[in-house]
Amino acid sequence: MSGSAARRLIATFARISDAIDAAAEHLSELDGAIGDADHGISMALGFEAVAVALGQPRAELATPAGVLNAAAGAFLNAVGASTGPLYATGFRRAGERLGAVEVLDAATVAAMLQAFAAGVRERGKGQRGDKTMLDVWIPAAEAAAQAAAAGRGGADFWTAVTVAAEQGAAATASMVATRGRAARLGERSLGHVDPGAASAVIIIAAMADALDDLPNAA
Amino acid sequence: MSGRASPSPRSTGVRRVAGDDAQSGSPLRFGGDPHVWACWLYYQDGLTQGEIAEAMGISRATVNAYLSEAREKGIVNISLDPSRLASLTIAEDLRRHFGLDECLVVPSEETRPLIDRLAMAGALALRTILKSGDTLGVVWGRTVMAIAERLDLPSLHDMTVVQATGATPATFPYTPTLCALAFARALSARCVNISAPAIVGSPDLARILMEERLVAGEFAALEAANRIVFGISSLRPNSTIHASGFFEEVSLQHYLAQGAVGVLAGRFIDRQGALVEGPLDARTIGIPLDKLAAIRTRIAVAGGFDKVPALLALLRGGYANVLITDAATGRGILNADGGVVPRPRTAAPARAASGSPASVRTHVKKFLNRPADAVDEMLEGALQAHGRHLVALAGQRRVFVARHGPRPGKVGLVVGGGAGHEPCFLGYVGRGLADAVVVGNVFSSPPPDPIADGARAVSGGAGVLFVYGNYAGDVMNFEMAAELVEADGIKVRTVLTTDDIASSAREDRDGRRGVAGNVLVFKIAGAACDLGLSLETCEAMARKANRRTFTMGVALEPCSLPQSRRPNFELGAEEMEVGIGIHGEPGVARAPVAPADAIVDRIMDAIFAEMNPAPGDRVAVLVNSFGATPMMELYILYRRVAQRLAARGLVIAANWIGPYCTSLDMAGASISILHLDEELWTLLKHPCDAAALSVV
Repeated sequence: MSGSAARRLIATFARISDAIDAAAEHLSELDGAIGDADHGISMALGFEAVAVALGQPRAELATPAGVLNAAAGAFLNAVGASTGPLYATGFRRAGERLGAVEVLDAATVAAMLQAFAAGVRERGKGQRGDKTMLDVWIPAAEAAAQAAAAGRGGADFWTAVTVAAEQGAAATASMVATRGRAARLGERSLGHVDPGAASAVIIIAAMADALDDLPNAA
Repeated sequence: MSGRASPSPRSTGVRRVAGDDAQSGSPLRFGGDPHVWACWLYYQDGLTQGEIAEAMGISRATVNAYLSEAREKGIVNISLDPSRLASLTIAEDLRRHFGLDECLVVPSEETRPLIDRLAMAGALALRTILKSGDTLGVVWGRTVMAIAERLDLPSLHDMTVVQATGATPATFPYTPTLCALAFARALSARCVNISAPAIVGSPDLARILMEERLVAGEFAALEAANRIVFGISSLRPNSTIHASGFFEEVSLQHYLAQGAVGVLAGRFIDRQGALVEGPLDARTIGIPLDKLAAIRTRIAVAGGFDKVPALLALLRGGYANVLITDAATGRGILNADGGVVPRPRTAAPARAASGSPASVRTHVKKFLNRPADAVDEMLEGALQAHGRHLVALAGQRRVFVARHGPRPGKVGLVVGGGAGHEPCFLGYVGRGLADAVVVGNVFSSPPPDPIADGARAVSGGAGVLFVYGNYAGDVMNFEMAAELVEADGIKVRTVLTTDDIASSAREDRDGRRGVAGNVLVFKIAGAACDLGLSLETCEAMARKANRRTFTMGVALEPCSLPQSRRPNFELGAEEMEVGIGIHGEPGVARAPVAPADAIVDRIMDAIFAEMNPAPGDRVAVLVNSFGATPMMELYILYRRVAQRLAARGLVIAANWIGPYCTSLDMAGASISILHLDEELWTLLKHPCDAAALSVV
C-alpha cells in the first residue's frame, strides 16, 4: 500500500481499532486480575472514536500532525480514564514530531514512536520498570530507532520492534506495579502481565500489519 | 507454636516427606532441614519420636533436641497454618523449576522484619552447608551482613573467608570489608580482604591494581573459594544500590536503558542473567560473574517482592544453586516465570455442583437496553428524577449543575469521577453541597473538556474547588482540566480524597484511594463553600475532613460491568476480599467469610489504630452498601459499629446507612468514620439539600 503519510496513518488507526476491538475481552480479563476489568472496553471505545473521527473528510487530516491531533482529541474525549490523557499526550507529541512529512519511512516511524513514548512518560510521570505500557513503548521505540539507523525497513524493521514490544510486555509479569490501581496490590500484581502493556503490543502489531511495506530511510 | 496441630484439613496435595528426596540425605530440601523435617513428622504426620528417629536415621535424643530447638528458634512454625506450610511446597517447586540443589523458603509473616528472618534462615543453611577447611567468598550487602550477625559456628576448623569485591569508603555498616570480617569472626576463620577499592578511577588503574602482588594474591584466595554467599540488589528507586551511594558517580540510567534489572557482586545483569556492559565494568574490582558461577556452592539470600525481577535474572543466569527466600517472594518468582504455583491448601470450592448445563450462567442479569448506552440513559433518568436539584449543562451530556448552588462570590465545588458509583457523585449536587458533577464512563474518569466546562459554569469569581478520589486517571484528567480553566483566569484548588485506610500503609497516606468517605468530605467542603468562605479556607476544611475520615470495605461478591455482564473478579465460595476498592480492584487480603461482628471488629480495629480518638469525641458514621447488600445487613453492621464506638466512649453525632457510594452490583459494605472537631461539626450540621443527602 502506498499513499501520503497522513492517509497511511488513517489506515493504520483503522487497523488498530479492529485489532483492539477483537482483543477487548481478553484485555479486560487481564485487567480483572489486577485492576477494575475495564481496560479492554476503554481501549475499544477510544480507538473506535478515533476511527470515526478520522473517517470524516476534513482539511486538518491532510498532515500527519493533523491526523495525530484529531486522534488525540477523539481518544481523550471518548475515554478519559488514565489511558485517555496518556494516549492523547502520546499522539500529540508524535504529531508535533512528524509535522507535515509526506512519506512514512522507517526513520519517521521510529521518530514517531519515540515521541509517543516520551509523551506518555511525561504525562504519567512513569518510567521503565513500573509495570505499565511504558515497558512496551520504550523498548519498542528504542528498537525502532536502532533498526532505522541500521537501514532496516519493512518486515525486518517491524520484527525488531514487535519482538522488543512482546519481550517488554512479558517482562511486566515479573514486576510489581507502582502506578495506577494495580500499585495498591503490591506483590499480588506479580505474575500478571500489565493490561496496558498487552494492549500496547496489540497496537504495535497492528501498526506492523498496516505499514508492512515501510521503506527504510535510504 | 502451640502444641500438636488441631485437626487441620489434611490435603492430599501436601507432599509427604518420606520420599526419595528425604532418603537422599540432602540437608535443606523440604524436610531437609532437620528441624522442619522432624517437626513435620511429629506434628503433622503424628509419628512418635522413636519413629522419627528411625525415619531420619538419627537418635531419639537428637529428635528431641531438634524439636525443642525448632521451638526456640521459631524459624519453623509448626502450628500448621496452611499458608505457612505452603512455603515448603514453594521451596520444592522453586528447586525443581530452576534446577537448584537446595531451596529454603521461610514462611511469610508481617510481624518481624523480613531481613531478620531471611538472615536467620541463611545462618541455619550455612550451618548445614559449611564444612571445616572451606573457603567462603562473601559479597557485601545488608542481608549478607545480617546473616553474619546471626551465625556462630566456632566448631569449624581451618576456615577461610574471602571478600569477593573490592572495598568502599562508604560509611554504611555492611561494606564489603565489614561483611567479610563479620563472617570471619563468626567462623573463627582467616579473613582475606581485598586491598583495593571496588570501583577505581579508570580501567588502566584497575589493570595495574590487579597486577599488584598483594591484590593478585587476594584474588588467588578468592579463586580457591568453594562456597560463596551473596544477596542481590534490585534497581528500583528505593533499593540498596541507590541508597548506599555505592555507584553514585555513574548514571544508573545507562544500565536501565540496557535492560539491567539487578546488581550482583557489583555487576549489572539483565532479565536473563546476562552481564550488562557499561562504563563501570572495566573499573570494577571484584569477582567476575563467570568466576562466581564456577564456585561449587553459591548461596543466594534475598527476599521482598520488589526483588522478583532481579531474583529471576539471578536464577535464570544460574548464579545460585542454593536459594533462601520467603514464601511471598518465592510465589512471586514462580508466578512470574510461569512456574508451578501451589494451590491454596483449603479445599477447592465445589464448582457448580448443580451441574446441569441449563443452569450454568455466563452472564449476570441486568436491566439494560444497549450496554453501550447504559451511562447516558442512566443520566437521562437521573436528571428527570432529580430535576428539583439538577440541571444539565448546555452542550454537555455528562455535566450537571446544581439548580440552587452556584452564586456570585461563592467558591464553586466540582466533584466527579466514573459512573457506576450511583448515587455518587451526582446525588451530592445541590444547595450546600457540590455545584457541579462530571461523569465518566463506568469506573473511568471523565475527560478534561467536560470537567473544565463544569468548572467554568459554577465559577462565581471566588475560585473553584475540585474534590475527587485519588486515582491516576482522575488525577490526570482533572489536572488537565484545571490547566484549561486556569488559562481563563479562574483559580482552581484540588483536594484528593484518600480515606481508604486499607489501600496503602499509614506512611503513604497520600497514596491511598478515595472511597465512600468521599461523601463526608463533599459534605464538609459543600458547607464551607455555601458559607461563603474563601477558596483557601474551603480547601483547608476539605483537607481536614479528608485527613480525619477513615474508611475500610469488604466485598462478599464481585460486581459486574454492564458491557461484559460478567463478574469482574473471582471470589471463592467461602471467601471475602478485605479492603476492597470501589471499582472491584482487589483489596489487601483475601480471607474466609467471617461473622458480621468479626468483620466490623477487624475494620474498627484498623480505624481506631489510625484515628486515636479520646473518650467523648464526636464522630460521624457512614455504613455504605456497595450496591447489592441490603439494609438488613447494613443495620447489623451498624449495630456493632455503635457498640464499638460506645465502648470507646465516642459519641455518634450523625449517621448515614445505605447505598451512598456503590460499585454497581457488588455485595459488600464499607464503614467510614469522620473524627469530628468543633469546626467540622459546625460544617457537618450546616443544611444541605441534594438528591442523595440532605441535612435540615
